[in-house]
Amino acid sequence: MDFRLTEEQEATRKEMFDVCQELNKKRPRGFAGLNFAYDTGEGWKFHRYCAEEFVKRGWLALNWPEEYGGKGTMMDRVFFAEARGYYDIPGVDGFGVGMLAPTLIAAASEEIKRQFLPPIAAAEVTWCELWSEPNAGSDLAAVGTTAIKKGDKYIINGQKIWTSGAHNADWGFGLFKTDPQGAKRHNLSFLLLDMKTPGITLNPILYMTGEHTYNEIFFDDVHVPARQIVGAENEGWKVTQLLASFERSNINNIMTLQSQLKELVQYCNETEVGGELLAKNPAIRDKLAEIACELEADRVLAYRIADLQNRNQMTGFNAAMVKVLTGELTERLALLGTEILGPFGQVKFSNWAPQEGVWPSEYQHCFTESISMGTDEIQKNIMAWYGLGLPKSY
Amino acid sequence: MDTSFTEEQEMLRTAVSDFLIKECPKSKVRELEEDEKGYSPETWKIMADLGWIGLAIPEEYGGMGGSFQDLTIVLEEMGRNILPAPFLCTTIEGIFPILDAGSDEQKKEFLPKIANGELIFTMALLESSGVYDASGVATKAVAKGDSYVINGTKLFVEMAHIANYLVCVTRTKEGASPEDGVTLFIVDTTTPGIHCEVIPTIGMDKLCEVRFEDVVVPSSNMLGELDKGWPIVANVLRKGAIAKSAESAGGMQACFDMTVAYSKERVQYDKPIASFQALQHMMADMWIAVDTGRYVVYEAAWMESEGLPCAKEASMAKAFINKFYQEVSRLGVRLHGAIGTTRDHDVSLYYRRAKAASSAFGGNDLHHETVATELGLVK
Repeated sequence: MDFRLTEEQEATRKEMFDVCQELNKKRPRGFAGLNFAYDTGEGWKFHRYCAEEFVKRGWLALNWPEEYGGKGTMMDRVFFAEARGYYDIPGVDGFGVGMLAPTLIAAASEEIKRQFLPPIAAAEVTWCELWSEPNAGSDLAAVGTTAIKKGDKYIINGQKIWTSGAHNADWGFGLFKTDPQGAKRHNLSFLLLDMKTPGITLNPILYMTGEHTYNEIFFDDVHVPARQIVGAENEGWKVTQLLASFERSNINNIMTLQSQLKELVQYCNETEVGGELLAKNPAIRDKLAEIACELEADRVLAYRIADLQNRNQMTGFNAAMVKVLTGELTERLALLGTEILGPFGQVKFSNWAPQEGVWPSEYQHCFTESISMGTDEIQKNIMAWYGLGLPKSY
Repeated sequence: MDTSFTEEQEMLRTAVSDFLIKECPKSKVRELEEDEKGYSPETWKIMADLGWIGLAIPEEYGGMGGSFQDLTIVLEEMGRNILPAPFLCTTIEGIFPILDAGSDEQKKEFLPKIANGELIFTMALLESSGVYDASGVATKAVAKGDSYVINGTKLFVEMAHIANYLVCVTRTKEGASPEDGVTLFIVDTTTPGIHCEVIPTIGMDKLCEVRFEDVVVPSSNMLGELDKGWPIVANVLRKGAIAKSAESAGGMQACFDMTVAYSKERVQYDKPIASFQALQHMMADMWIAVDTGRYVVYEAAWMESEGLPCAKEASMAKAFINKFYQEVSRLGVRLHGAIGTTRDHDVSLYYRRAKAASSAFGGNDLHHETVATELGLVK
C-alpha cells in the first residue's frame, strides 16, 4: 500500500492546481458554487473563458484514445477534477466532457466518434442531457417520449424535464422510446440531437435561488437523422449503464467541500461574537472537526476508486458509497456554514454577506449531489440489491 | 499510488483470519470474558511461535521485522473475530516505547522475550481524571538512591492483572507545562506494593485499577530520559489510536456481515426482512461506514508506517471509527431485534466492545479537538 503519487503525477497535479488558482483570481465575485451559478450572464462568460484555457492544454480530452485527440491517464482526469473542485472553477461541460465523451468512446460507431468527439475536446459544442421526464425520475427506464423510426429519421414526440443548462446547449443526448410495445429496458434508444431542430420548445424552470438552471422541453414531431444513434436500436438502456468508463471518484465535489471547510475555518478565526473568536467556541470546533473526519474518509475512498479505475479494475460499490457520503456531507456542511454565520448565513452576495454569500448559495444548492444522477435512496437500493444480494423491495 | 495490500500482506491476513476462526470461536470469547485471566496462554504461545507478537520487532531482537501496517492487518482480523488477548497492549504499549526510547540493554533484555511470548507488557497511563493528556499524570516517582519510589493509582490499564511488566507513566517534576516532568518506568508487576484489580466494564475486557504503594523501581528501569517521557507516550497514543481503529474496523465488518446474513434468514410477513427497504437502507448506511472507515484507517496506518507526520490523520481515523463502530453495532443490534439484545448473541458482544474501543486511546472530545487544531482553528 502506498498513497504517494509519482513525481510525474505530482507535477501534473500541481500544474492543474496552479492553472485553476490563476483562473480563480479572474472569477467574477458572487459566483461561488460550482456548475449551477455559472449558467447565466457573467458566470457563463467566465465558464467559456476557462473552457478555452483548458482546451489550449488539451485537458478536456484527458484519458481519451490518442486517435481522437486524447492524452493523459485516468489519474490526470482525477487531478483535473480535484483542481477545479478545489478552486470552484467551471470551464468543463459536465454533460459533454464528463458523460457523453466516455460513453461515445465506449459505445459509439467510428463515424459518430469522429464527428462528435473533437468539438467536445475543443469546447465548441455544449451538451445537455435529455433523460428525466415528468413520470420518469428515479425510475428512468419508464421514459415515455417516443422516437419512431420513419425512413432514415426518428420522429420524436413527448416531454423531458429537469434539463439543466439546456438554454445554453447546442446539442442534447437522450433516452427515447423507440419500441412502444417492447419490454422495459429493451425499448429505448440513445440518440443525439441538435437543439435547434424545429419542433423543440424550451421553457425555463427557476431554481429556488431564482436562477435559470432547469428547463422543461417539449418535442413536437422533431426529426432526427437515424444515424445519430449510439449503440443498437432499443438497447439505449445498456448505453446509459456504461458507467465504468466515467471518472467516478467524485473527487471534484469532495475538494470543493474541503476548500469550503477551509474558508469556514478562516471565517471562524477572523470573526468575534460576544467578544470571543468563533474559533474558540468548543461547539463549533467539535462540529467542524466531525465533518472534517468524514470528509477525509470520503476523500481516501475516492482516491481508492481513482486508483482502481486507473488500473482498469472494478470499483464495486465504492462509487455509490462515495456519492451518498458526499451528498450527505454537502448538505451537512452547507447547513453548518449558515448556522455558524448566524443571521448573516441568509444574506446573498452584498455588503452584509460574508465570503461572497457562498453559504446561503450552498444552502440552496446542496441537494445537487444527493438528488441528481440517481438519488441517494436509489444508490442505497442498488447497493442493497446488487451489492449485498438483498431481495428487491419493488 | 497503490491502494491495495501486497500479496504477502493478503497472505498474512488470511493466515490470521483462518487461525482465529479455528482457535477462537465466539463461545470461547464468551468463556474468556468470565475467565479470571481473560485470555488463553496456549493460544498466546502459538501466536508467538507464528511470529505475530514480534511481527513489528526488528529481526536483530528476535522479531519478524514487519511494518506497523502489517501489524494493523493482524489487529483488523483480531477485531473482526474478537480475540481476548494482551496483543494490542503488548505490541503498541510495550514494544513501540521500548523501540522508541529504550536503551540497547533494555531492547536486548525485553524484546526477544516479548517476541517469543514469554513477557506481556501494558502501559499504565490513565488516572482518575480519565484524560489522555499529560495533565492527567499525577502518580509520583521520587528518586531515592539508585531507585525511584512510585505512589499513585492508575486506571483502565489493559490486562495489567496478567502482565509481567507495566510501562508506568509518572510525574517526576511539576514543570512549566504538564508535558514537562513526565517520566516512564518499566515496572515488574511482581514488585511489592503493586495492587491490581479488574474494573467491571461492559466490554469485560480486563481493564484494571493498579495501585502503587511505595513501589521501588531501579533507576536502570527508566525508559527514555528523566522528565522528558511525554513524547514517548504521545507516540504510543498516536499509534494506539490507529491500532485500535484497525481493530475496530474489523469489528464493524463482522457486525455488518452478521446483520446482512441474519436479515436474509429472518422471515416476517412471509418474506425475509432483508426485502424491506427501511432495513435495506440501514444496511447500506452500515456498509458505507464500514468501507469508508477501513480506508481512512489504512491511510493513517500507512503514514505511520512510513514515518510521516500523521497526528491529524490518526485522530481523523479514530474519530471516524469511534463514531461509526458504535453506530454500525447499534444498528446491528436493532436489525436483529430482541435476539440481538441478549447476552448470548454475538452482535451485542460487538456493541459492548465498541464502547470499550471508542474510549481507548481517546474519545471524540480528544480527537475532534486535535483535528480542530490541525484544521487551523485558533485555540
